[in-house]
Amino acid sequence: MALIEIENISKSFGALNVLKDISLSVEQGEVVCIIGPSGAGKSTFLRSLNHLETISDGRIYIDGKLLDDRKDGVNRSPLTKKEESDILLEMEIVFQRFNLFPHMTTLENVMLAPVHVRKQPKEAARAAAVDLIEKVGLSDKLDVFPSKLSGGQQQRVAIARALAMNPKIMLFDEPTSALDPELVGEVLAVIKKLASEGMTMLVVTHEIGFARDVADKVVFMYDGIILEEGAPAELFAKPKHERTKAFLQAVL
Amino acid sequence: MRNLELVMGWLPSLIFASRITISLSVISVVIGMLAGVFIALGRISANGALRKACGIYIFIFRGTPLLMQLFFVWYALPLAIPWLAMQDRFLAACIAFSINSAAYQAEIIRAAIQSIDPGQMEAARSLGLTYGQAMRLVIIPQSIKRLIPPVGNEFIMVLKDTSLVSTIALVDLMKHTSQIQSSAATALVYLPSACLYLIFTAVFTFLFNYLEKRHSVYE
Repeated sequence: MALIEIENISKSFGALNVLKDISLSVEQGEVVCIIGPSGAGKSTFLRSLNHLETISDGRIYIDGKLLDDRKDGVNRSPLTKKEESDILLEMEIVFQRFNLFPHMTTLENVMLAPVHVRKQPKEAARAAAVDLIEKVGLSDKLDVFPSKLSGGQQQRVAIARALAMNPKIMLFDEPTSALDPELVGEVLAVIKKLASEGMTMLVVTHEIGFARDVADKVVFMYDGIILEEGAPAELFAKPKHERTKAFLQAVL
Repeated sequence: MRNLELVMGWLPSLIFASRITISLSVISVVIGMLAGVFIALGRISANGALRKACGIYIFIFRGTPLLMQLFFVWYALPLAIPWLAMQDRFLAACIAFSINSAAYQAEIIRAAIQSIDPGQMEAARSLGLTYGQAMRLVIIPQSIKRLIPPVGNEFIMVLKDTSLVSTIALVDLMKHTSQIQSSAATALVYLPSACLYLIFTAVFTFLFNYLEKRHSVYE
């Protein structure tokens, strides 16, 4: 079984169906880029995986374990709260707007969850945090508050903060959309490095160049469904659907 | 000259009576804040019954006069439930003022918590923090800075409202002022008394401004 198995998930806000019967599987180490026009349900789809949104129908398996099983809004999953949060800890998300904790320094942001969730001793968590912050190239910003960092630096801290929980899967929700153009590259470079280390990732992005370089699979979403998916070379070179063609023409 | 002598003569006892004014204000605002945190958390909790209960509390104690609440605790409650009769007027005043202030501060705290970007809670929960941890470590620390100005305001309101305790014959600054006024048959005593109130509010305003500044280090 693939690391992530998504089977027929749907979600509606009242009468509005945001996700319509979506299925997708993601193998260990695979990088999947999700593209599509705004309002297609890309973010909702990603956020459904780690329960920031609740699906109304469908099943989600993470690493062979059933995380969600819903039918008409009714939760049929037998998981206890504890089992559910254990599975959710396999995934971490990076947000468009970073969402760093403004009252904590870089180091404190990265250490918070390992200390309070994983119950790591402070010294161990600190050492691990220092390594991760070095990995994202911000060793000189350990004791700086987020307000003193550029958007690109904040997003790199956010990535380090997510990695500190040792997730198997990283979710990126438009990680560069809130950045000034000249800061996009530094964040994409960090995500590329993660890809090359074999991290399994789902990335909602508008950076087509990045998707072409890094993705193993590109998913094109339109109006709550996956209209088309395939290897980037294939999908970008000869899209099957008119919608996909039109979208790619507009963004390229 | 004679007036100055009079005022100077009253001042020590006025200041002594102020201990009730100050201690009642501080105790009520502190207890009101602690209770207010829980009521505010109840107001925004996922539990519908708890939300309702906390809403009703706020509705009742914000919507009826403080003087009525004070009379209720001191005069009416012992009539209804005799063993609740209190010997100590100060204790009765503390209870009435704390209950009242809790209702106001619950709303202040709720507003401050809800003014924090929802992305903060999402990030905290995604990292695996429980709701309680997220509140305690992420949301509440950020809301403190936003709490300070309205709580300062509330404190000054309470400080002035403590003058109501003169109605249950607790000798605070106000009660003592009116005692002097009737025994000495003079309006002059209001001058030092008002000045004392102004000094207290000025000192606490300064203190709250200082706290606010200290809490803005990370911005």
